[in-house]
Amino acid sequence: MKKLYLLLIAALLLVGILAGCVAENSGSSDSEGEAEAGGAEGESAGGEEGLDIAVVPKLVGIPYFNASESGANEAGEDLEGVNVNYTGPTQADASAQVKVIEDLISKNVDVIAVAPNDPASVEPVLKKAKESGIHVMDWDTPADKELVDLSVKQVDDEEFGRHMAQKLVEAMGTEEGEIAILTGGLSAANLNLWIEAAQKEFDENYPGIEIVSEKIPTDEKQQVAYQKTLDLLKSYPDLKGVLAVSTPAPLGAAQAVQEEGLQDEVSVVGSALPTDSAPFLEDGSLDTAVLWDPGKLGYLTVALGQMLAEGEMPEDGQEIEGVGEITVKEDGKTVIMGPPADFTKENAADFDF
Amino acid sequence: MKELLKQKEISILAIILLIGAVLSFVSPVFLTIGNFLDIIEGNVVLGILAIGMTLIIITSDIDVSVAAVTTAVAVSIGYLFTYLPDSWISVLLLFLIAPVIGLVMGLVNGLLVSIIEIPAIVVTLGTLNIIAGIVLYITNGNYINSTSFPKSFMEFANYELLGIPILIYLLAIVAIGTWYILKHTLIGRSVLAIGGNTQSSVRVGIDYKKVKLFVFAYMGVLAGIAAIAQTAYTKAVDPNGMLGLELTVIAAVVLGGANIHGGRGSVHGTLLGVLLLAIMQNGMILARIDTYWQNVVTGAIIVIAVSYDHISYKRSQDKLAKIEVEA
Repeated sequence: MKKLYLLLIAALLLVGILAGCVAENSGSSDSEGEAEAGGAEGESAGGEEGLDIAVVPKLVGIPYFNASESGANEAGEDLEGVNVNYTGPTQADASAQVKVIEDLISKNVDVIAVAPNDPASVEPVLKKAKESGIHVMDWDTPADKELVDLSVKQVDDEEFGRHMAQKLVEAMGTEEGEIAILTGGLSAANLNLWIEAAQKEFDENYPGIEIVSEKIPTDEKQQVAYQKTLDLLKSYPDLKGVLAVSTPAPLGAAQAVQEEGLQDEVSVVGSALPTDSAPFLEDGSLDTAVLWDPGKLGYLTVALGQMLAEGEMPEDGQEIEGVGEITVKEDGKTVIMGPPADFTKENAADFDF
Repeated sequence: MKELLKQKEISILAIILLIGAVLSFVSPVFLTIGNFLDIIEGNVVLGILAIGMTLIIITSDIDVSVAAVTTAVAVSIGYLFTYLPDSWISVLLLFLIAPVIGLVMGLVNGLLVSIIEIPAIVVTLGTLNIIAGIVLYITNGNYINSTSFPKSFMEFANYELLGIPILIYLLAIVAIGTWYILKHTLIGRSVLAIGGNTQSSVRVGIDYKKVKLFVFAYMGVLAGIAAIAQTAYTKAVDPNGMLGLELTVIAAVVLGGANIHGGRGSVHGTLLGVLLLAIMQNGMILARIDTYWQNVVTGAIIVIAVSYDHISYKRSQDKLAKIEVEA
């Protein structure tokens, strides 16, 4: 028995070491390869070394951040002398993200762009990065404003919320009636900002719209959104529309509408990715999915990171190649990528995220 | 003994009836067949997993990897769909393959728990992370929507027999099958015996390791079936869709009167526990309770239900003790 244990432990250790080797190998060979390529390009461009830009998402391995990863890598290929290092925790965990940033600081990259899971917990490590001469920026979700040199935002929260509200009224085809609001979670700050803006839009411009209940949480899960929408449809037979905020919620709401065959009676508008929502957009159970292009956001982050490292600051109305015209807020460092993108039955097939 | 068993499930039934009465008073739609079918169909996955968990909890163990195993099987189903032909045979094949995939993962848990005797919470916490990690690596978190599903599976998912969705029959088969195993088979009686008193049961010749292996393997099979139900219900595979479901599963089992220290628990009790959680979920919107108060109300009902159940259990235990003294 003892021998068996020893054997097991030895085997485990071996696997661990091998896994470590593989991971390190693939990691280092990648970055080395890129560094060499970047260095070569940089030399040909003007004898400089390549810029290392690290982009840290909230987590890796979800469709949204995968799409922004491919955008960021694309920018790394398009822009000369830029090496992109896209790395983040495997779970949306604030302390794991801090460790990732620590590693990047010791690697001495030139720019760190982070989408913080929790702005407060990355504050000390960002300070440390700044002290070691690294340019710090945030993307997707804002970090502490005082700390970052640049803040890249996908959309203006206010505009996004109001836009979804308008789309819903448009889909309903009437400015009167009952609607319900589904949200991913009650404590998600960005979702709350959008919902507040949407509510403001309804209050100010569509007084005939009545919101039947407080926003309803769906735990970021499709099946919960589906069940809650079924309940809503039963409880409020005159319901005309559902505004579903957070990416799984519109899918669940649309599934309920689809199953009940209420495509023409109940409109659903929400923030969802186009490929996920394709089957629901097809038959009108989901009227419009509103979001932005996460790939472009990754691209823009890298492009602005390069500008920052080269000592330039973006200007309002500036045209960024591959992205479009950007807006810069009064503070001079908050960059808005552009207006929200609408995904409908007609155009959903054109996107690959 | 029979009356004792009766009593503890009756207490949770009483609470369900009470909430049901209040809800049907508040909302006219609550007491409709359509709403009840919705409630049950929406909780088939929870029900199947909770039935499997009941067996494990009866043996005083716990399995926190159920949601991860179910997700892993669901993801495998999603990938299988691209290879399966569009016919009824595929659906039948699925009912063979999915439980086997679940069984393999259940056996891993079971072997570690029974042969090497590592505490189940440690084992399943480990397998939970291993499985979740592999799923994340393979899928990259990508959601698979129904466009890639074979038509025959979609027909199966939407099939209704006598106006009742097919998934409800699936739950019924699992429930009756498990009840039969617990009540009328040697292995089922051994599960209860081991939970009641491990030492005595070993002394009377029950193979402790075999029973432990059985409950975890059975949980794996049920997780495989639950994965089919989940895929049929959401008509999509979401690798993150069942995050944290294991806690709800355990809550349903405990609400249903199972003792977390083992020896006590039943299939019908667990089904009542699932029903209580389901009705509360459903009732919140129907009763038009404000979002922020929903959590408070849910929590309060759970605390009341469990204390009520526990008080009546303690009372009956006292009675039992008295009888023994008198005898």
